[in-house]
Amino acid sequence: MVKRKVAKVLAFRYKILAGILIILAGGLVLLPKYEKHEGIKPEQLLSNVISPERYISTDILADKLINQDPSYLLIDVRDKESYHTYTLPNAINIPLAKLLDEDSERYLNQDEYDVVLFSNDNFYADQAWILCNRLDYQNLHVLKGGINQWFNTVINPPKPLENMPTEQFELYSFRKAASMYFGVAYPEQFKAVKKPKKKIVKKIITVKKKKKAPAEGGC
Amino acid sequence: MKELEKTKRISIASTLFILVVLIAVLAFERPKHMYKVNSVNTLEKLTSNDYFISLNDVNIENDILIDVRNQFEYEKGHLKNALNIYAPEILSDTNSTIFEELKERDKTIVLYGANPDEVNAPFMLLYQLGYTRVKILAVENSYVQNKLITNAVDIEKSVANVNAFIDESIKKATQSLKKKVVVRKKPRKKIITVKKKKKAPAEGGC
Repeated sequence: MVKRKVAKVLAFRYKILAGILIILAGGLVLLPKYEKHEGIKPEQLLSNVISPERYISTDILADKLINQDPSYLLIDVRDKESYHTYTLPNAINIPLAKLLDEDSERYLNQDEYDVVLFSNDNFYADQAWILCNRLDYQNLHVLKGGINQWFNTVINPPKPLENMPTEQFELYSFRKAASMYFGVAYPEQFKAVKKPKKKIVKKIITVKKKKKAPAEGGC
Repeated sequence: MKELEKTKRISIASTLFILVVLIAVLAFERPKHMYKVNSVNTLEKLTSNDYFISLNDVNIENDILIDVRNQFEYEKGHLKNALNIYAPEILSDTNSTIFEELKERDKTIVLYGANPDEVNAPFMLLYQLGYTRVKILAVENSYVQNKLITNAVDIEKSVANVNAFIDESIKKATQSLKKKVVVRKKPRKKIITVKKKKKAPAEGGC
């Protein structure tokens, strides 16, 4: 009796198995929800974001620009207007709003250049960096302090005080030279450019000593 | 007999397959943190610029202030009614439950730190994780004689017009050059007076 019943169920075994498989396959429909999870893990993003590794200082950048390092690509994330007012030499303008456009991706998602993002401060550049880091773009950096810091260190370097260490003086002379490279003129700079002074030939006025007149007369 | 063996094998294989799938499904762990807002929408939020709030606009009933500096700084001095959640620990379990609770209670999370830059990362992370009611307090905190001083700041304000500065410097430099030239135009003539020697009176003589 029992055997017969089992046999009856077993007759449907393929259908049952197929049914279970189909139900499980249906489970796949639920999975794509997690696919929305675009980019790297939030924990990874957090640790990347907390580390200050992405920052590049204005002095190092100035050095790279002066040496015309071809591996650096500058990207200005401010709006067009500020970009046209002043920007770093050879910078490309990608306003923050257009950061994720297809055209911008060419510059951001590549491994040929070291890309330096900058804005007035580093606030917007950081935001751009965080967005790109989530998408796992490599070789991105942020100019620490942005244009403001650039102005305060490279363009208009503060003179070190007399009681400061020699490094400060060296840094100052580097920055001053850099600022000259970027177009700032210093009054003392013109001394070197001036035409060589004509040597004023001293006129020598020879005053002939009168020979003592031989004693006149006399006996 | 052979036929029976074949079907047996098929059923064993398929039960094993189903078992594997079941184990996989059970072992599937939902990641703890998931992005709920994609990059494009986040960027839209960022460009809207409506995520800043000034200290005067903070409403104690609806807004919860969160200090993202470390515990030491927090204990040294913090804003009134602020919670302390150190930025690197923002994804820890306890903190996640706090944020979840705040979200359920429909509160706005207002983040602040030593400066807005410091808050940027936690803000963006929280926003992308789906806590859409997050704001940044546009203040700068510093200590003067161990007293917390909170100042409002303008974000991304340009300090100087670099081009104007460069032009100015060139102008100054050339001006100083001109001045020098003007000075040199009048070389003072040295007057060398040659004293005529008086003729010596005739010496001698009788």
